[in-house]
Amino acid sequence: MLDRIFGTRRTRQFQRILRNGKVTLLCLVLTIVVLRGNLGAGKFGTPEQDFKEIRETFYQYRGKRAEPRRVLEELQTTTEQTASSATNNYAEFDINKLFVDEEEDVKKNPNEPYSIGPKISDWDEQRGEWLKQNPSFSNFLNANKPRVLLVTGSSPKPCENPVGDHYLLKSIKNKIDYCRVHGIEIFYNMALLDAEMAGFWAKLPLIRKLLLSHPEVEFLWWMDSDAMFTDMAFEVPWERYKDKNLVLHGWNEMVYDQKNWIGLNTGSFLLRNCQWSLDLLDAWAPMGPKGKVRDEAGKILTRELKDRPVFEADDQSAMVWLLASQKDRWASKVYLENHYYLHGYWGILVDRYEEMIASYHPGLGDHRWPLVTHFVGCKPCGKFGDYPVERCLKQMDRAFNFGDNQILQMYGFTHKSLASRRVKRTRNDSSNPLEVKDELGLLHPAYKVTKISSS
Amino acid sequence: MGQEGFTAQKRGSSTLPTSTAPNGGSRSGRSLLRGGGGGNRQIHKTLNNIKITILCGLVTILVLRGTIGFGSLVSDNDLENQAIIEETNRILAEIRSDKDPDDPEDNQDQSVINLNDTYSLGAKISNWDEERSLWLSRNQDFPNMVNGKARILLVTGSPPNPCDNAIGDHYLLKSIKNKIDYCRIHGIEIVYNMAHLDKELAGYWAKLPLIRRLMLSHPEVEWIWWMDSDALFTDMVFEIPLSKYKDHNMVIHGYPDLLFNQKSWIALNTGSFLFRNCQWSLDLLDEWAPMGPKGPVREEAGKILTANLKGRPAFEADDQSALIYLLITKTEWMKKVFVENSYFLHGYWDGLVDRYEEMMEKYHPGLGDERWPFVTHFVGCKPCGSYGDYPVQRCLSSMERAFNFADNQVLKLYGFRHRGLLSPKIKRIRNETVTPLENVDQFDIRHSTQGSSN
Repeated sequence: MLDRIFGTRRTRQFQRILRNGKVTLLCLVLTIVVLRGNLGAGKFGTPEQDFKEIRETFYQYRGKRAEPRRVLEELQTTTEQTASSATNNYAEFDINKLFVDEEEDVKKNPNEPYSIGPKISDWDEQRGEWLKQNPSFSNFLNANKPRVLLVTGSSPKPCENPVGDHYLLKSIKNKIDYCRVHGIEIFYNMALLDAEMAGFWAKLPLIRKLLLSHPEVEFLWWMDSDAMFTDMAFEVPWERYKDKNLVLHGWNEMVYDQKNWIGLNTGSFLLRNCQWSLDLLDAWAPMGPKGKVRDEAGKILTRELKDRPVFEADDQSAMVWLLASQKDRWASKVYLENHYYLHGYWGILVDRYEEMIASYHPGLGDHRWPLVTHFVGCKPCGKFGDYPVERCLKQMDRAFNFGDNQILQMYGFTHKSLASRRVKRTRNDSSNPLEVKDELGLLHPAYKVTKISSS
Repeated sequence: MGQEGFTAQKRGSSTLPTSTAPNGGSRSGRSLLRGGGGGNRQIHKTLNNIKITILCGLVTILVLRGTIGFGSLVSDNDLENQAIIEETNRILAEIRSDKDPDDPEDNQDQSVINLNDTYSLGAKISNWDEERSLWLSRNQDFPNMVNGKARILLVTGSPPNPCDNAIGDHYLLKSIKNKIDYCRIHGIEIVYNMAHLDKELAGYWAKLPLIRRLMLSHPEVEWIWWMDSDALFTDMVFEIPLSKYKDHNMVIHGYPDLLFNQKSWIALNTGSFLFRNCQWSLDLLDEWAPMGPKGPVREEAGKILTANLKGRPAFEADDQSALIYLLITKTEWMKKVFVENSYFLHGYWDGLVDRYEEMMEKYHPGLGDERWPFVTHFVGCKPCGSYGDYPVQRCLSSMERAFNFADNQVLKLYGFRHRGLLSPKIKRIRNETVTPLENVDQFDIRHSTQGSSN
């Protein structure tokens, strides 16, 4: 076609030039694109950013909203959200959209050393005076039995794991049962009192606050939410601890000699309400504040304690460290109990329940019939534990039923098996119910008798 | 050189005449190659095309890698997480299903109840009052009055299997914490039931055999207080004025007008009521139970109740309608029943939850009535099931608000309160002090209720 205008040779040259030009342009474009992809082009951005922008544009067109904004007025939130989610179906609802934080966290001065509370030095005197003035709030329920407050707790937000809350519920029911039989009060905590002492350290400010707010309580019994009572008939031997202020499950050699980080367990322990305990809490707390302090403390603990893995400081390791390094100050008032399972590691206990039922009876509290089965490492409330999920959950069910059977036998029932939720009768209904005695004597036990003078 | 190559591809046919022309060394060299015939040229052409295609492909990949990167590839860690989540879901489904692993004999036990048989809660007892007072006189260590107040046992419960969704279990947990707090402050013991004591009386009827069983096993208990799992205490100071009921054996929230004149099915509420531990109560339970057994008995009874009670929808017999029907047909029972509405022994939530801020501003705990409700009862919300009668958002935010409203009253002793009624976080309202006992004397609820005997 061009032949006719320019002549053949000219045409060919022209076409050659065109071709060359096309190729040059193509190569140029490719070079620019590759360079932009690898190095970026300043304010023109990288292709990755383009990709994201394109994606977001598409999403906008689809009608997806941005993150819900924090609203200060609750009423506004309610009306806004009702419009968009008026569903009656619980499965469709995202619970995390429910919570509204009206205020910012209080910012602490990072240079200020942590203090668990203002120093109190005369707590024994203050408390003694108060008890004298309030005889109806006696710290002893009868000659042998101190007033005990069992403290446990969990997060105010739902568990990440969908079954976590169900196991927390079963765990608190189990504690309610034991405490009702033994005349112990319960405090279930769901509030984080001190944002710096979050996680396993949260119990420290809580314990201090409860000791100071309940002077009538003689012993505070901290128990983790993953620990269950499996011996409903065992009463803690309070007279054994009349000169002690802290009772933990553990072994003297493992704590004082070996400095083993699992030489004791802070998942279930007793603390007397006195000045010594306040001092202990003051000495225990400094490794707790989250952030640099806790991380650095963790390194010290891993170095100083036997077999401790590398992670931030936890309250248990800190306690081992405290007792081992300041033995002279604390050891005389600490009792490391191992004659019964004030804390019983679940791994060695749960498979033997049937054997225990066949060979022994409740009331022993030790390896034959453990007082507490503690599911360390299972973490049913979180997403990932240290053990297989199935083993943990099935064994928790078994431990729960093992304990529940002892409660149900009071009323003439028992679980059909340790794995079964269903119950069956163990004795027929009688027209003389008061003549039937429950085998374990849990309905009206002697240790529950309250003999204090009322005002 | 490349140009010639391109030229050769693009101008296959037109170069033919020039190939034989003897001008340009390289060109002729190339022409000689080309001169091998059309087929050769085509092969070369194809080869060149392929080369260019591969080249372009490589360049495209390079460019794309530079732009988007490898972000879409799943890492090992994610795969592991995925596996764990799947396993959890499988186990969860197994746990939630009602199937029990060791339950072969269950099917054989099911016997059909004859419609003519009257169901019985247990062996008939006729002398419970005498038996009980004899026991109390022999067991002075377990008196029925503690610190001048009658001994109360609070009974509540929930099904033994996990809720249909996790939110339900979370609110059951908050609900029991709320009850634990109230009962600790007021010296009341709690029984949390998770067992079906009687297969026939399942569902809302399950409370009947349970109450009977607890009465008979705990003669030291003077009053048994049943409370639903969806009812929350919202007045931590208020105490039930038991002296008001010294001539009655049952205390239940309701309206006499709705009960006798309108015969409404919601005239009374069995979500929160008290039963005295006595023969009369055992007899009432025996009279109440027959409409309960599941199956044809409950269905038929449901029809009778719908026919006789105003506003009742058609469904199987429930304990509340059955009690109302019993009381309006056999009015002799009413002598000992106290229908209470001067305080909210049961407070229907819908009219209360929006007013909490107003209440905090104008009133104070201890009133128990519409100014500061004693109990807020979330009827119809059913958080343990899949569907409620109300929008989920409304139910859950109201339950959260009621819980925090009550929790503020508990935390007051410790110097804290929630940041807002929908906030799980707390803030200080009182500084720490070296003389904490002053605060204890001032703020501990027990010190204000102690001494006021009922």
